[in-house]
Amino acid sequence: MIVCVAVVGHQNNPLYLQSFTEADDALKLHHVVHCSLDVIDERVNNPKRNAPALNETFLGLLYPTENYKVYGYLTNTKVKFIMVTTDLDVKDADARNFFRKFHAAYVDAVSNPFHVPGKKIASRSFGARVSTIVKSFGSGTTA
Amino acid sequence: MANYLAQFQTIKSSCDRIVIAVEDVSDLWLNVKESFEQRLPVKKACLNNKARNPVFVDNLPAEFIQTTDSRLRSRFPQDQYLFWFREPYATVVLVSCEDLDEFKTILKPRLKLIVQNDEREWFIVFVSKAHPSNDQASKMAKKVYARLESDFNTRRRERCCKFDLHGPDAEFWDDFDSKMVDCIRNTLDRRVQFYEEEIRRLSEQRFTPIWNFCNFFILKESLAFMFEMTNLHEDSLREYDELELCYSESVNSPGKHREFGGLDTGDDQAALLNPGCKALTQIVQDDVFREFEFRQYIFACQSKFLFKLHRPIEVAARGYAFVVSFSKTLALQEFLRLAYLIGYGVEIEKSPVNSASLSMLPWPKPATWPSMILQAKSREKIFNIHRKPLPLEPSLLLREANRRRAFLSVGNLSELYDSGLDANSKHSPNKSASNYMTRTMSGPVTSESSLPVDRPMRLSEIHVAAEHALKQTVSDPNFMTSLSSLEEFEKRYMELTKGAADNYHRSWWKRHGVVLDGEIAALFFKHGNYDLAAKSYEKVCALYSAEGWEELLADVLPDLAECQKILNDEAGYLTSCVKLLSLESALFSSKERQAFQSEVVRLAHSEMKHPVPLDVSSLITFAGNLAPPLELCDGDPGTLSVAVWSAFPDDITLESLSLKLSASSSVDEGLKAIKSSDARVLVPGRNIITFNIPPQKPGSYLLGALTGQIGKLSFRSHGFSQDGPVDTDEFMSFENPTRPVLKVRKPRALVDITPAVSSALLMNELQWIGLIVKPIDYSLKDGILHIDAGAGLTIEESQMIEIETYGGDLEHVGCTDASRTSSSSTDTRQVEKVPIEDGKIKIPDWASDVTTLVWFPVRAIDDTVARGASPASPQKQSIVDGMRMIALKLEFGVFHNQVFERTIAVHFTNPFHVSTRVVDKCNDGTLLLQSQVKATVHVKDVWLDLQSGFEHTGKGDGRPTSNLFPLVIAPSSRAGILFVIRLSGIGDLDELEKADSMLNIKYGISGDRTTGAHSPVPVKPDDSEDLLFKIAVKLKRPVLDPCLAVGFLPFSTDCLRVGQLVNMRWRVERLKNPEDASLFADEILYQVDANPQNWMVAGRKCGHVSLSNTQGSRIEITVTCVPLVSGYVHPPQLGLPDVGEANISCNPAGPHLVCVLPPTLSTSYCVPA
Repeated sequence: MIVCVAVVGHQNNPLYLQSFTEADDALKLHHVVHCSLDVIDERVNNPKRNAPALNETFLGLLYPTENYKVYGYLTNTKVKFIMVTTDLDVKDADARNFFRKFHAAYVDAVSNPFHVPGKKIASRSFGARVSTIVKSFGSGTTA
Repeated sequence: MANYLAQFQTIKSSCDRIVIAVEDVSDLWLNVKESFEQRLPVKKACLNNKARNPVFVDNLPAEFIQTTDSRLRSRFPQDQYLFWFREPYATVVLVSCEDLDEFKTILKPRLKLIVQNDEREWFIVFVSKAHPSNDQASKMAKKVYARLESDFNTRRRERCCKFDLHGPDAEFWDDFDSKMVDCIRNTLDRRVQFYEEEIRRLSEQRFTPIWNFCNFFILKESLAFMFEMTNLHEDSLREYDELELCYSESVNSPGKHREFGGLDTGDDQAALLNPGCKALTQIVQDDVFREFEFRQYIFACQSKFLFKLHRPIEVAARGYAFVVSFSKTLALQEFLRLAYLIGYGVEIEKSPVNSASLSMLPWPKPATWPSMILQAKSREKIFNIHRKPLPLEPSLLLREANRRRAFLSVGNLSELYDSGLDANSKHSPNKSASNYMTRTMSGPVTSESSLPVDRPMRLSEIHVAAEHALKQTVSDPNFMTSLSSLEEFEKRYMELTKGAADNYHRSWWKRHGVVLDGEIAALFFKHGNYDLAAKSYEKVCALYSAEGWEELLADVLPDLAECQKILNDEAGYLTSCVKLLSLESALFSSKERQAFQSEVVRLAHSEMKHPVPLDVSSLITFAGNLAPPLELCDGDPGTLSVAVWSAFPDDITLESLSLKLSASSSVDEGLKAIKSSDARVLVPGRNIITFNIPPQKPGSYLLGALTGQIGKLSFRSHGFSQDGPVDTDEFMSFENPTRPVLKVRKPRALVDITPAVSSALLMNELQWIGLIVKPIDYSLKDGILHIDAGAGLTIEESQMIEIETYGGDLEHVGCTDASRTSSSSTDTRQVEKVPIEDGKIKIPDWASDVTTLVWFPVRAIDDTVARGASPASPQKQSIVDGMRMIALKLEFGVFHNQVFERTIAVHFTNPFHVSTRVVDKCNDGTLLLQSQVKATVHVKDVWLDLQSGFEHTGKGDGRPTSNLFPLVIAPSSRAGILFVIRLSGIGDLDELEKADSMLNIKYGISGDRTTGAHSPVPVKPDDSEDLLFKIAVKLKRPVLDPCLAVGFLPFSTDCLRVGQLVNMRWRVERLKNPEDASLFADEILYQVDANPQNWMVAGRKCGHVSLSNTQGSRIEITVTCVPLVSGYVHPPQLGLPDVGEANISCNPAGPHLVCVLPPTLSTSYCVPA
């Protein structure tokens, strides 16, 4: 189950952060997402010598924390998507697929002429779309 | 196979390098041993890793062992396969032979025998004992070696090399090394393949009952160990990673129950970096390793290789993840939840280490009830901030513990119940000890008591149980010390956290680092070390603030603020409060935000030691109007309204508020701040503040900064917002908007004043002068017009000034009804009378924006008597005579700061120009009246007061016939009036010369003041409209006694041409003898008067000619002239200045005009003269 998704701007500022848990652990997820930026920074600054393709956006599993696995995705505008899940067994393809859908939703949201680039995403329809994607991720893996 | 484990461990520990076997066929080893062993470890070796890719390995450790050595001899073939990694990786066959026959018969068969074993990788070193000086021996050795090569080298592989005992060359060693490495590589490849196949075979059995993890482990670790020996650490690490994975799968598989950890002394100690901490044989149980130790073992092995690979950061990262996940496992096992401490530094006193994690265990009756948890109240946070507790708090633990207890089999619960709740303890601690050592999740259900235990345990009870259990299990004295008291524990905790934080920062994981910094700060704070706490908190806040993570910031910032408050760091505290206020309002309750504000206000009104300007850019933002910028004229003040947003939750009272403008063109910041006069209280949200702007230099201005004072605290804001409150993420804040809010125009004409009257006005009469006052896009509100009449002009101040709307399209403004109705601007037309005082007029309000006509009465004074003209004395009238100057000064603008000054000239004139003409020699004359003004003049009466020497003929009183009047004279037209007069004959000649006749004209005028002369302004109501104009007319007696006659002689040529000389000839004749000899000398002065533009006089213009005094004497005067222009021109005139005009008759009279032809076309320029 995905517990949290976040969009982080290229200055590492949060643009969107939504948690999907019942528990009141939003702050904890904030910490998790924020700390995962360390890993992204490291990956981006020290690319592997035999890095696959330059346009590879999916960063893969960033790191596992106590209860979560954190996956990352970096758009070509240096906007980061971070997904926190409690699933222990996530296939890369699933995560990749999730991020692709999420990216499309994000692109639509920021294409809104009333959206100020670099500002937090306040669009409700974006939120709704994200929840749909999140839900479908859960059902997709269990099914 | 489990019995191999011990053997395996022993072998592994005794074997740390690869072995190269030496088959010493010719007893040479002792001779070469030293030089061979110097080649070890192998400096550079190219080996294949598991993926069959070449890898260069440095300093490969190896050892030469003779095949005869007991270490190699005593092995069983079975052992050899199982622990193949320790077998020799290469075999060096040392041979020497000096005789070809011996080689053929003895050595060769023996060698063949040795190398026929396929398992071995071998190569032959032929040792030549021949001394280089001994040619024959050398030759022999060469021969034998050649034979050896041909026998043992194959096409694919050379297996021989030659070693000269007396001084081997460098080439040999390279050869030797490469052959040896070849062998090692081949052996390694083969063994890797072998192990891989074995492992695969075993893996396939993983889900069958015969699966044995221990065997799998031995194979896997053997492979890993082989890689380790050959310095292929990367591959080693991978093997352990796979091992870990496989272990996780097998350990979690359902089925047999396994113990999690050991029960011996020291089994509770973690040894994350020491793989040899506990022998694997001690942790194996039913072919599976105990998880607690084995996981640590794997991790330790992994760390070892990571360190060897120089990747310590990864050790930390893996370590962190390991500790976290492992602690979870620990928690699941109900064994020890120490690791949960990490992350709960602030709440150490509530941490689970001594609480409910061990709640399942019965406890002995405590000597004293520990009070740590019970006493630990949650700290009263500043600002009354109430945070929801983190999930892992005692209350939650208590619930969790009780939940689990309910599931637990009841075996020891009755005891628990008894001992915990009944005051009289029934057991000894020893007995209970046997029970609580059963650390299994699902122990055998030994339901000794059916007593239901449904009463939940209290926190204190769980606490006691936990502490007791801890004491029983923990054996490490250091750890025990750390757990012995809160202080000790915190000391240890601080030490660990600091180390972790430092390492995170060193490896650029700053976000992880600051999380731990926050923990450190909390601990410092707890110990009253506020200074250090503040420093750490600042670090945390700085990062969160810089990256805009407000939720995280909101969690830490209040703590920083509290530190600053305690440290009396007013500036920092204020900044923190402002920052807190500027965070998203949803992050704090309104009560909390009000608390922040009241803190700011309280400090602002207190006596601060070091008052510093406070930057409230994020809190108070401002913007100009969306409307176009305020435009001001040079020198004008203005009012600028600025929208100010206050993010304070309540109204905030300001002592002052000022705005700084910055010129967009220059970087000069020296503009003075403009104070706002109003709005001392900012309400939350939008406020419109007006600023009175003093005159500024021309240019455009942007909003600069907002400054002000709250209490004694001055603040400053650079926060621009566009049309709403600025978002608080600072790095995204708007740039200084380039849109100017104020434009001050360059100086320009704001008003124009021109005279409305173009033509002359009546002299000496009270006349209206109109001024067209035309504001040019500028209000003349409250303007004052100063009118300063110059010399010869007075303003009639008794009269009201008339101000009326000026319609430029109308000729007659406010004149007739017809024009009013026809005017499109009838409605707006206004006329007002205003008084004039000291030459000042106040412009009425309605006239401030429209072009107006200002009429004011003036009287031009000319004391001189007007004179008429006559042919004898043509009037020399200068326009300057009638000119009068009026200096105007208009002060306008809000503060009368704008001044317009102009001097206008107005022309005044007499109503008539009078000239006389004698009509007839019969002594009657005509007066020609020419109207001088652009107005119809009604002449009502004219009478002439004659000078002496003349008199009216007949009975007339000097008036022409009465039915002549009223005589209407249209503008600029002439009229003649005939007076019949005669010489009275009597009178003195001198008197006659001096005296003037006086013409009196009574007239009225019907002019329009907009055009020019008009009826004078009635000063008194009964003033007659009739005007009287007096003009002096000089009458002259006619020429009665001509003395001289001047005759113009005709030209000699018919026509004159330009450039041609022509002689002008005059004949002067004396008509009679002069009566006065002095006057009429025998010489006369002549003078030729010619227009110099038309004529050039070639010769003397004037001179004396002699003319006898006798009557009839005549003389001819010739003057040569050149005509200069063609056309009809006046010819030159001959004048006699000494002779009065009355005495000269012109006979024959000269032509009035002469014709001058253009010059003939000349071609002479081309022809030589």
